[in-house]
Amino acid sequence: MSKLLHDIKLIGDDIPWLKDMRSAGREAFAVSGIPQPKAEAWKYTKPIRFFANDFIPAPRGESHASNNNINFPFDACKIYFENGVFSSCDDDLPQGVEVLPLIEAIMFKPEIRGKIGALADISKHPFAALNQAYLGEGLYIKVAAGTKVAKPLVIINHITAEQELRQYSLRNLVVMDDSSQAEIMEYYCYDGELKSSYFVNMVNEIYINKNAVLHHYKLQSEAYKAAHIALNSVFVAASGEYKSFCLQKGADLSRNETKVVLSAEYAKAEVDAAYVMNGWATIDTTTDIEHLKPLTQSLQLVKGVIGGQAKGVFQGKIHIAPQAIKTEGYQLHKAMLLSDEAEIDVKPELEIFADDVKCSHGAASGELNADQLFYMRSRGIGEEEARQILIDAYLNDVIAKIDNQEIKQFMSMAANPLKERE
Amino acid sequence: MEESKNNIEITDSSGDKYKYGFTTAIEADTVPIGLNADVIKLISKKKGEPEWLLEWRLKAFEFWQGMKEPSWAKLHYDKIDYQSLSYYSAPKQKVKPQSLQDVDKELLETYEKLGIPLKEQEVLAGVVAVDAVFDSVSVATTYRAKLAEQGVIFCSISEAVKEHPDLVKQYLGSVVPYTDNFFACLNSAVFTDGSFVYIPKGVKCPMELSTYFRINAKNTGQFERTLIIADDDSYVSYLEGCTAPQRDENQLHAAIVEIVVLNNAEVKYSTVQNWYPGDKDGKGGVYNFVTKRAACRGENSKVSWTQVETGSAVTWKYPSCVLQGNNSSGEFYSVAITNNYQQADTGTKMIHIGKNTTSKITSKGISAGMSNQTYRGLVKISPNADNARNYTQCDSLLIGDKCGSHTVPYIENRNRKAQLEHEATTSKISDEQLFYCRQRGISEEEAVSLIVNGFCKDVMQHLPMEFAIEAAKLINISLEGSVG
Repeated sequence: MSKLLHDIKLIGDDIPWLKDMRSAGREAFAVSGIPQPKAEAWKYTKPIRFFANDFIPAPRGESHASNNNINFPFDACKIYFENGVFSSCDDDLPQGVEVLPLIEAIMFKPEIRGKIGALADISKHPFAALNQAYLGEGLYIKVAAGTKVAKPLVIINHITAEQELRQYSLRNLVVMDDSSQAEIMEYYCYDGELKSSYFVNMVNEIYINKNAVLHHYKLQSEAYKAAHIALNSVFVAASGEYKSFCLQKGADLSRNETKVVLSAEYAKAEVDAAYVMNGWATIDTTTDIEHLKPLTQSLQLVKGVIGGQAKGVFQGKIHIAPQAIKTEGYQLHKAMLLSDEAEIDVKPELEIFADDVKCSHGAASGELNADQLFYMRSRGIGEEEARQILIDAYLNDVIAKIDNQEIKQFMSMAANPLKERE
Repeated sequence: MEESKNNIEITDSSGDKYKYGFTTAIEADTVPIGLNADVIKLISKKKGEPEWLLEWRLKAFEFWQGMKEPSWAKLHYDKIDYQSLSYYSAPKQKVKPQSLQDVDKELLETYEKLGIPLKEQEVLAGVVAVDAVFDSVSVATTYRAKLAEQGVIFCSISEAVKEHPDLVKQYLGSVVPYTDNFFACLNSAVFTDGSFVYIPKGVKCPMELSTYFRINAKNTGQFERTLIIADDDSYVSYLEGCTAPQRDENQLHAAIVEIVVLNNAEVKYSTVQNWYPGDKDGKGGVYNFVTKRAACRGENSKVSWTQVETGSAVTWKYPSCVLQGNNSSGEFYSVAITNNYQQADTGTKMIHIGKNTTSKITSKGISAGMSNQTYRGLVKISPNADNARNYTQCDSLLIGDKCGSHTVPYIENRNRKAQLEHEATTSKISDEQLFYCRQRGISEEEAVSLIVNGFCKDVMQHLPMEFAIEAAKLINISLEGSVG
């Protein structure tokens, strides 16, 4: 048996189509395995280093302390997962919003069959295949047509387990019906001093129907010996909009991959991200935006700050299909290196098959500006603080693009170790 | 059309200077098709090579057998059967055209547009020998005498192996080892000929060296190997290829260019490649898989690559710079134009190893028709390359809605003191610019060529003068039929 693939009893194995999907996932992962260093999509991230050990899914019913009162700074509708298992959901769900544990949705909502697994291609994404092998845990979120959700939905994935080498597979299926609007935030966190090594394998499949708007935020703040690998696969219909921001600041191995298919005219995507990392970690932001039809638009801004012996990776791809004219695709990645042993690897890619388009990408990397540092030092600001102010300003470029003021503040705090201490 | 090249070869072979290599059809015919150790031994024997070179070729061949053809490039072509090729060009005896009237009209039209003098046209079409154009005494001979005065060595690599074995032995394969890649390895095993240049200490080469003037340059065949060494404080500008279309029946070209630059030396390498791109339906055309690399070994050394790529059905080419010496710098200027069904995957690698190294990349890609083009580049900053600096700009222009343009840059930074910038844009010819020209009575085709030439200007200005003028015309010709 391949590493990471284990025979465990899963709920719902009596549902034939679910069982088939799980076996398909198993087979696909058995073929691909953990991406090898030569795999182009994982060229710089090299997950093999982390998976020297095997990770085992938690057996069913493993006791987990319920800790549903994480200090969350703003008013939101909260959904809790404890150690990779659905724990609770606030009662006051806004009208028109349906939230179900994924397994319940699989049992009682036959309409999701055909949606689940359709966006996350298991032949191309080994970890999505692995995730599908254990399919069952996660959420089904549906926002009814025309609903404008006032409060953000926050999904909190909290890890407290001391057990070593646990593997948590989670999948969220989000369906935004026509002309609906919502904000969803994912928050990955752990219990204060957690030292165990674990692996979170996330897949989000998101359908944005006509004219619908989804703002998707994510804060990845996993324990320092963890691995967090996420695939966000998004389908956007005509005039739909997907806007996301992801801040990665934790884990030893972290990857946030976002694939957006702009399937019809006037579909729009804005995929922004930031990363802040010290220590030894590898932190990877990968995007793949497919413009299939004319008049689609995408924007990307990614900023990173890398210190210690950490490695930052950005791979961004803009694909424009033949005949997808009048499209616009912009991408910018900027990274700052803080130490001598830090490393940045960047691969921005354009793949363009239509002539009447406007596309560009830019990438830059360098260190803190010595003049700016000097300016502040000469005005009596301590070096540590001056550096932090500059880093803060650097990341603020992208954090400032967040529309929701409370989330913006939350992210800004999370990105800044000094502010967090206050 | 195909005869043209062969005829030049044959005329050349009667010249005095042409002592080595495949001189007559009879000799060449004795090499069987296919590739094995015996063929390599035979090539080496025919060229009268020393034992060490044969051993080196055989080692390369052994290594090559264990290699796989790379498939990562965005190129689609029929699989090449390496055993069905002849590794020792056999010039075929064909009827030589008696005058320009016998030459293909299309070819002549192209010459006309390029502004090639009548006499030169005759040479290119194979009506007369090169010698006939450049007076009774061959230009090449005149040039060589002048170069020899300064101690510059400019000869074929086969001659260099015989006359300057120490230099060749020291530097051959030192920049591109045979283990480097599939095509370089193949070339190392079977290379037939190429140029050798050595510029001694402190010498500024008095003229631009061009393969065009080296008599046997046309005969280097499909596995060309060039080695350029610029010793301390020297300078040379080297031109490869020419703007006139070269009708060549070799489908596969796998060349290597190695450049070694020592302290304070500078090498400028310019290429215009205009090989047969195949017809309008994408049939035929040359497959061009080239490994070009310069090692800036000395302090303050400098290399600049300038290329204009308009020919070949398939191009796979990444002229690179390894910036080893402190303060060394590398530059890459490229214009690549693809039309009809041409495919080009080209770019550069800048490997920064020494301190204060700088590099600049300017790449302009123009795709038209059904063609596809990829810029693929690597900028790598190693941990010791303090204060390294790179600026990269790749712009693509698309003409028509059936072509493709792709950009795949890799940027790897392991030094925080390095400063890197990369920019890439893709767009079509702006309607405003086109309208502006049209409004002033410039025809659409002319307007497009005006705009395209403006788009390429950053690169063209780095070409030597006479090259630049021809290259500008070449660009227009390459894009013919893609507008309107």
